[in-house]
Amino acid sequence: MAYEEVKVQTPLYLKILPVLSICAFFGSWEFIVKTGIVPSTMLAAPSEVIKLFIVKLTDPNPDGAVLSQHAWISLKEAGIGYLLSLLVGLPLGLTMGWFTTVRGLFRPVFELIRPIPPIAWIPLCIFWFGIGLWGKVFIIWIAGIVPCVINAWVGVGMTNPTLIQMARTYGASDWQIFTKICVPSALPMVFGALQIALAYCWTNLVGAELLAADQGLGFLISMGRRLALPQMVVLGMVTVGIGGAVIGVLIDAVEKRLLAGIRR
Amino acid sequence: MDTQSVANEVIKSTREKQAFSIIALIRNEYFLYLVSSAAFVLLWHWVAKEQILGKSLATPYDVVKELGRLMTIKLAGKNLFGHAWASTQRILIGFSLAAVVAIPLGLFMALNRTVNAIVKPVFDLFKPMPPIAWISIAILWFGIGEPSKVFIIVIGTFVPCLLNSYNGIRLIEPELYDVIRSLGGNRRHEILQVSFPAAFPAIFAGLQISLSIAWTCVLAAELVSARSGLGWIIVQGMKLTKPELVIGGMLIIALVAWLTTLLVSGLERVLCPWKRHIEGL
Amino acid sequence: MEKQKNVHNKIVCTDIGKTFIQKGTQQVHVLEKISLEVHDNEFLVILGPGQCGKSTLLRIIAGLETPTEGQAFLDGKLITGPGPDRGLVFQSYMLFAWRTVMGNVEMGPKLNGLPKKECREIAKHYIDLVGLQGFEKHYPHQLSGGMKQRVGIARAYANKPQVMLLDEPFGQLDAQTRLFMEKETERIWQTEKRTVVFVTNNIDEALILGDRIATMTGKLPGKMGPVYKVDFERPREPTDMEFLKLRHQITEASELVL
Repeated sequence: MAYEEVKVQTPLYLKILPVLSICAFFGSWEFIVKTGIVPSTMLAAPSEVIKLFIVKLTDPNPDGAVLSQHAWISLKEAGIGYLLSLLVGLPLGLTMGWFTTVRGLFRPVFELIRPIPPIAWIPLCIFWFGIGLWGKVFIIWIAGIVPCVINAWVGVGMTNPTLIQMARTYGASDWQIFTKICVPSALPMVFGALQIALAYCWTNLVGAELLAADQGLGFLISMGRRLALPQMVVLGMVTVGIGGAVIGVLIDAVEKRLLAGIRR
Repeated sequence: MDTQSVANEVIKSTREKQAFSIIALIRNEYFLYLVSSAAFVLLWHWVAKEQILGKSLATPYDVVKELGRLMTIKLAGKNLFGHAWASTQRILIGFSLAAVVAIPLGLFMALNRTVNAIVKPVFDLFKPMPPIAWISIAILWFGIGEPSKVFIIVIGTFVPCLLNSYNGIRLIEPELYDVIRSLGGNRRHEILQVSFPAAFPAIFAGLQISLSIAWTCVLAAELVSARSGLGWIIVQGMKLTKPELVIGGMLIIALVAWLTTLLVSGLERVLCPWKRHIEGL
Repeated sequence: MEKQKNVHNKIVCTDIGKTFIQKGTQQVHVLEKISLEVHDNEFLVILGPGQCGKSTLLRIIAGLETPTEGQAFLDGKLITGPGPDRGLVFQSYMLFAWRTVMGNVEMGPKLNGLPKKECREIAKHYIDLVGLQGFEKHYPHQLSGGMKQRVGIARAYANKPQVMLLDEPFGQLDAQTRLFMEKETERIWQTEKRTVVFVTNNIDEALILGDRIATMTGKLPGKMGPVYKVDFERPREPTDMEFLKLRHQITEASELVL
């Protein structure tokens, strides 16, 4: 069908319900904590979290840093690890898709590393790098590299074979076919990888910081637990969630702009 | 994953017709697999032996020996299989709990706009939150026993299960519903005969994603606090500064995680025999 | 347009118009003042170029769209929705990928609550009719395009509709298969006569299959062009004198309208 019949205006109740549902969610959360149905040692009311948020903007106690510093550390680790994984993963995946030799050399190692959850590297990282920045960057790098390689590889594999044969009849070399045909064909999948890898990096960052850190949002969460301050735990979780959402939206926007040229 | 393009296959088959030559051998993919695996193990052995990374890396031989030892002796009352099973069991419980709730909920959300309007906003609040961030809350709520670990897995696998069953239904070709309607079916038939079966492959894709997340979650939970499981083995290795134990644990994790993935794809092959050609990847 | 008095009109469309609202407020006027009669057990072909609204017209007859103006009647009753009395065949096959050929074909009887054994028998009969015996247990992805459309036709037939509606059913097939499927369609139709409305953009297909050919004009909104009666003997060959003459006549005329 060339013509789409567009539904006439969404009914009003469908617009109100989401708002109501969000309000009900926060309302009942506040309610069950304030009335003591859930003890305040287990969960903090939203109002408590907001209060702590304002305090944490300026007060480094009791965990040693203000909120923005924690967030900055986390962002830095995630950013470096993410960029490094793109830098290594995408070229590796692309070449693995096209050159048999590269595939032959790297596939066994890759297949070995692939099923290991990045979190499992933490003990080795602590051995190798201590609990500083680079240990976490390594975990995030491992986390990001797997989706990068897989997507780039699959992307190259999805190249239209007719295009490759066409290029061969014109006498293009393997390298020319790779750069001129395979890489552009793989681009949509590569952009997909950017997003998946980022989400993956962000998840594993929290894991890495929970276990081995002295700063960062994950550390904030685990300090909240050790100090039995649920509002601090929730604050950390919310900040991480917001961070993830913001990054997701950013990548979405970038991807849309970049892909606009490809998808017409 | 066999995703070579057709053009690549053509080249391969013409190569096979050539007479045996050293160059052809060197360029053969499977030969290269062998070479690189061997090189990897040797390099690892050399780095560990020469202690380039200090004492923090064990030789492959040590790792194998350690694994052999773990098969027979008991750590905290369980041998290696016991620990592997402890982790797997947590995953199976958490995973099934999440799937049983999330998949129907996702289907329901996709089929009913009112349910969608109520559940989706709250779900969207939780979606960007990494499951691992829940560990602390889980411990505050459930202590460090089994429930907190299962809880983390439920949280982690809930999102992909729900999203995939939701999208699986929303991406169905609307003309398929027209078929049912023109054959005389009603809304119930549309849902039973089209929505559910058509969403099946997407649901399975969601299960696969969930499974890898579940492994991450269970490990994180076990690293933070546990008395059994593969994550606990790694932690023991770290505490005792025994890299061979750590690496051995990681290898076992890789093996078990891979096996569970195989299990799900095997299940999929049995349950949806029509799917093989739809995806093509 | 000559009219025989004693012919019963199965489908009647009176002054049908259709306007879609596209995203935002843009209106697309697809059909304008379409009037059409389809006689009982007649093979009517609607011939028109791409994007002239002929599929929309078919979907209106099927009851899947409601016209914004005018009405469509089946046996004198207003069409308000889809029903098992009209069988639909789609250009993109629309088979249930998760069901075997048998499962696809027996869907209609099953939805209408017939006992399992009877569904089987009906489905078997129509699978044989379209020449797919031996493929009952195959899944759609194991079939070629022509075979898929045979399943689509069998599925529609198995529901025993009074009217068959085919929406460019062979549009995705190669020329060879297409010709073969046209012959098959003719054979099937002659074995079990139904009223057929067949939408196509291929003039040869129209001339081989149609009892009458209703043409539609090119640009939107689609309007009805002249209706031609094809009264020479079946099976028709594209090289027959009469065939070529009528073909020429239609091309000339539709060029005028375009």
